[in-house]
Amino acid sequence: MEMGYLIGATVLAAAGAVFGWRARGDEGKGRPALWWMLGAFVFQLLFLGERGQLRGQCPLGDVGEIALFLAWSLTLFYLITGSTYRLSLLGVFTAPLVVILQLVSLFPGALDHEVVRAESIDYWREMHAPISVLSYGALSLAAVAGVMFLLLNRRLKNQNLTGGIMIGMPSVSRLVKAMARIATLGWIILTAGVVTGLKMDAGELNIHLMVAIVTWVLYAVLLGVYYVRGLPGRQLAWGLLVLFVVSLLVFGKL
Amino acid sequence: MKLVCLGLNHETAPVEVRERFALSESKVVEECRALFEVSGIQEVVVLSTCNRTEYYVVSEGNSGSLEDWICKVRGFSGDREGLFYRHEKHSAAQHLCRVASGMNSMVLGETEIFGQVKKAYSVALEGKTTGGILNKLFQRAFGVGKRVRTQTSIQEGATSVAGASVELAEKVFGQLKGSAVMVVGAGEMSRQTAQALQSRGATSVFVTNRSFEKALELAETIGGEAIHFDDWESTMEHVDVLVSSTGAPHFVVKPQHVEAVRRKRKFRPLIMVDIAVPRDIDPAVGEIEEVYLYDIDTLQTKADHARAERVKQLEVCEGIIDEELTKAALPGLE
Repeated sequence: MEMGYLIGATVLAAAGAVFGWRARGDEGKGRPALWWMLGAFVFQLLFLGERGQLRGQCPLGDVGEIALFLAWSLTLFYLITGSTYRLSLLGVFTAPLVVILQLVSLFPGALDHEVVRAESIDYWREMHAPISVLSYGALSLAAVAGVMFLLLNRRLKNQNLTGGIMIGMPSVSRLVKAMARIATLGWIILTAGVVTGLKMDAGELNIHLMVAIVTWVLYAVLLGVYYVRGLPGRQLAWGLLVLFVVSLLVFGKL
Repeated sequence: MKLVCLGLNHETAPVEVRERFALSESKVVEECRALFEVSGIQEVVVLSTCNRTEYYVVSEGNSGSLEDWICKVRGFSGDREGLFYRHEKHSAAQHLCRVASGMNSMVLGETEIFGQVKKAYSVALEGKTTGGILNKLFQRAFGVGKRVRTQTSIQEGATSVAGASVELAEKVFGQLKGSAVMVVGAGEMSRQTAQALQSRGATSVFVTNRSFEKALELAETIGGEAIHFDDWESTMEHVDVLVSSTGAPHFVVKPQHVEAVRRKRKFRPLIMVDIAVPRDIDPAVGEIEEVYLYDIDTLQTKADHARAERVKQLEVCEGIIDEELTKAALPGLE
């Protein structure tokens, strides 16, 4: 049954990308990607709920669950940000990343068939893992906004002003603000993730935690420079994109 | 009963003739009433704008003397060859629908005409010069105008250089409310562009020119602030949009000018619109990351593209007019 939820979430997210793109610029059709993504979010919740029941703890026990949890977190922040900032096309850009993450979950061997139920629970670890993945959801959404900015910026700078992606795109200023605010939110949540990580395993500093701390410092520097000195939008966008890719190393060191 | 539209517009008459036939709102009522003196006329609506004066009349018999009457009242004795156009019955109804939809306007798809047609109709309605035929016809035309506006893209895209500048500024800043503009050069194009930006919310406009008197003059006209030419570089720290249109034979704005204020501006986006020929802004300025530089050719191409897109919509609009005029028979068109 849980695989059905996962496939359903993937199909809905893919539909959000396709229908959202086709309806771009057509205000009469509202924000179709938002509704498809809402549907995908419900299926993700159902999947995570079942896996959580099986594990008796937060479902972050294998690559498939981590990828799906990250996809869920990304979708959650999109649903919050998409409604708050009304960033048109954000859903169209977010949906493909959600699909990719869910395809990782669907990849043979990514999900444990025989789920081992947890016998004891380390509460710090139970807080650290979901909080951290949640923060990466926000940071990945900031990277998605960064990609949107880079594409828009390229078209505006090259004076390629009509058609394609120019239809329905938010403004440069709006995207810069969104990138900075979403990344700041992600960084704040990551701070909580790092703090809870330091508390688990009796404060033992492993490679995974060290990579997480380095990531936290790099984001702090990037955002600090942006807020204090100022930063051209292009540099902020590249910074967020590169840092997000680098931060994925954290998952490699799990 | 026959519906007739007699008029002249920007395509048939030069401005010196159009102004002879143009009527103020108060004169329109008088004109409508006076027209009842013309034999057989039962209903009248007069539409008078800067680009057209049109008479929509319903007459019992031949309204051929209408043109003579209008010329006589206006004191026009010049050459009338090709000056007036005349549409009857169905053709008159089609023409009104095209006018109300902006399809017959100088700027294709402009929306102001819809309000002007509504105003002309309400003036005639209050003056009790309309009846069953014109009431139904105008209501139908308003329905067509609304459908054209909502179901086609004939009004989309800016068709002027000033409008294209505003669209680009909005693509960068979203909305221009509270933004600051600096105009370098006090020519007509600068004025148009600055006013277009103001109409969309730009609050501060700085005007600079080598002749400070001219800068003052333009600043007073548009409600901006004149600054000495020596101060424009430092003022750039505060602006979001810079419009340059001087007659200088060399580049006025160079990369070092922008580099000098980047840190102070905290690398905020800056739009630069160069509408001068020869160009005022060194193209190398456009390579600075947060600068979006557009010259007159880019803006003209954008405006031409929007115009071409609007022309493409004409066929769809004609379809809407045909559909609306045939869906229920209107009196006076047979």
